[in-house]
Amino acid sequence: MTGIKGDPLARSFRGMRIAASALDAERSRIDVIAKNVANARTTKMPGTGLPYRREVASFRPVLGEAFNGGIDFVGIRVDEVVTDQSAFEEVYDPQHPDADARGVVLYPNVNTMQEMADLVTAVRSYEANLSVIETTERMADRALRLAE
Amino acid sequence: MSLLQSPGHALLQRLMSATTQRRDVIAMNVASQNMPGYRRRDVEFERLLVDAMDRGTPPERLMEIEPEVQIDWASEARADGNSVDAERESAMLRENRIRFELYAAILSGRSNLVRQALTSDR
Repeated sequence: MTGIKGDPLARSFRGMRIAASALDAERSRIDVIAKNVANARTTKMPGTGLPYRREVASFRPVLGEAFNGGIDFVGIRVDEVVTDQSAFEEVYDPQHPDADARGVVLYPNVNTMQEMADLVTAVRSYEANLSVIETTERMADRALRLAE
Repeated sequence: MSLLQSPGHALLQRLMSATTQRRDVIAMNVASQNMPGYRRRDVEFERLLVDAMDRGTPPERLMEIEPEVQIDWASEARADGNSVDAERESAMLRENRIRFELYAAILSGRSNLVRQALTSDR
């Protein structure tokens, strides 16, 4: 990712670029939550034959070349998407095609309520970063109006 | 040298045309955001100018610097090889607009000086 390096004017847009990277990261987090919610009842994954495992996205900072030649924080990005290794939910349902010999069906370790709460957090973060971009833009506009 | 023919005036015009070109490049990035293998592009001009100024290039020689459309290899690509991120392009577009307005404001400030000089006898 290109950093803040560039002309002196690029420094004024630093906040905007950081917030834009956060928008992208939060959108990826929302995608992961969507995948979890969609797979909340997936009892058999192709390949493993096991139920779907919940996924969690983790972020990490992106460092770039600072204007003065040092290292500076330039944004965030999704570091990795890890699978939640907690136990599957066991439900007794002998009629289910994926029931084992005991009549127990393993369901994914996805808690839809928790996913909805995470979704709200992600959307709020997205909105917060969006308002950082809009505020930076308004500030620059106000500064420009001084020249009129 | 007259104010309207000074290197500064021409430089501002070139900066404005570079931002216009950058707007088109951003538009192309956004339009190609679902094209597999596409790498986002950017217009390098301001940084080339700053680098040249830091090296002590005289103002007349700055005219030889042209805006360059460069492929941004530093941005990471998605699984399909595309490196366009809509949010980032949107922020770049806003940044570019502010740059354009800044250059336009400086240019119109300079033009106002000339206008004042022309109308000072009235």
